[in-house]
Amino acid sequence: MENREKLKKVVEDVFLLQPGEFRFDLRRDEVETWDSFGVVSLAVGIQETFGYHFSPAEASGISSVADIITLLSAKGIKFDN
Amino acid sequence: MTMLLETEVQRDIQLLRRAWENKSTFAFLTEKTGVGHEWIEKSLSLLPDEMKNGHFVLLTSGTTGAPKLVIGQRQRSEKLAATLHQLQEGEPVEETILALPLSYSYAFVNQWLWSHCHQRRLRLTSGLSDPTALRQALQQARNAMICLVGVQVPLLASYFQGQSFPGIIRVHFAGGRFPQENLPLVRALFPKATIFNNYGCAEALPRLTLRKAEEADQAADVGRPLPGVELSVNEATELLFRSPYRAVGVVEDAKFSLIPSEAWVKSGDLAQPTEQGTWRLLGRASEVFKRHGEKISLATLMTTVTGAWTGQAVFYREPDSSGEDGCVLVLAPAPAPGQLQEILLSLRQHHGRAHWPLRIECSAALPLLPNGKPDVHGAAVMKDKTRLWYQRI
Repeated sequence: MENREKLKKVVEDVFLLQPGEFRFDLRRDEVETWDSFGVVSLAVGIQETFGYHFSPAEASGISSVADIITLLSAKGIKFDN
Repeated sequence: MTMLLETEVQRDIQLLRRAWENKSTFAFLTEKTGVGHEWIEKSLSLLPDEMKNGHFVLLTSGTTGAPKLVIGQRQRSEKLAATLHQLQEGEPVEETILALPLSYSYAFVNQWLWSHCHQRRLRLTSGLSDPTALRQALQQARNAMICLVGVQVPLLASYFQGQSFPGIIRVHFAGGRFPQENLPLVRALFPKATIFNNYGCAEALPRLTLRKAEEADQAADVGRPLPGVELSVNEATELLFRSPYRAVGVVEDAKFSLIPSEAWVKSGDLAQPTEQGTWRLLGRASEVFKRHGEKISLATLMTTVTGAWTGQAVFYREPDSSGEDGCVLVLAPAPAPGQLQEILLSLRQHHGRAHWPLRIECSAALPLLPNGKPDVHGAAVMKDKTRLWYQRI
């Protein structure tokens, strides 16, 4: 599975998104389940899927799916279209 | 009757002061009530005339997990704020930092009302939803008090690893299990603070007992009753109380109930007195438990699940990785992916994250009791289960 697909699955699973709700430009403020505990779940999901553990500052600073891609890309995880 | 919403008050805290000082009774509610506006309005209309002035109304969930309006008399709550000020050595405290929803009776009385009555500053934050702002408030704190729920401790320790906030001199816990095992983390974060375990319930509005952290070594020890509060247990060890600070009435199931002045009220917990004069909790009086400070009813959750799933289902209780109470849902037989998604979406639609099960598992069939009901213990220990989804907490 491509990394973009893997990321989509993690985000859908952590925030219980509806079919079609996920977008790569989805923002935290658009998803009411993206709360403080959701941030923790997301960090665990990212670690399980991509092997990278967000620092608390990184995790709390994420405000969109695009931010996740930017952070993981900087760690060498590729998200080619 | 004035209805104040939490977001309005976050924008202008003076709204709450004006409502408190105004003669007319007001309701203070979070936006995400889980019940419609119509339910609130209809429930408020049931208040008797004598409660339409000088009172306030908060929304909570009762021992059944069903929504309930709790009616408090302002003078009684002001007396409680004064009592807490004395017992919790509040005089040196110059300000209080809000890290919980203000419409929780705990934060409302221990923080807003206390700050109002004692002319102390209330610093609003969004709690762990915005850890950066919370950290800034904690760093700037000067002789401050904060109210927390136990489940916040591991998160605070994770977000603020290696940092300490000596400006916090009082830390209060309530609304769930006291974080006895995590006290070293609390002391590392707040090295100058006196730490208190507060216990109560919605009808107590909200305090019944108090203890300093070091006065017991078990989370279940909730300390001694506040002055004026009487505690007792019935034959079923259900904890009962009488209190001069408690709510004066409730609206539940479209019915107003007056709490008579001499009535013994159930707290919703099982308990026993200790030889030292303190009280020890033995568990919830029903299948309702608290998670992240919110009461969860397994019956209500099951209603949600069965609305989206026609197979067998059972919940069993399990603590999460931080020791907080949680539950696991077992389905049988294995649902198709679309059916699982329906259940998950239904959970999202009807419940906040605190209510979601820690995991959803499935099996070919559930173990049954002789009476044909699912065997909860058997479902917890059976080996041939598959994990379908989990919260990663």
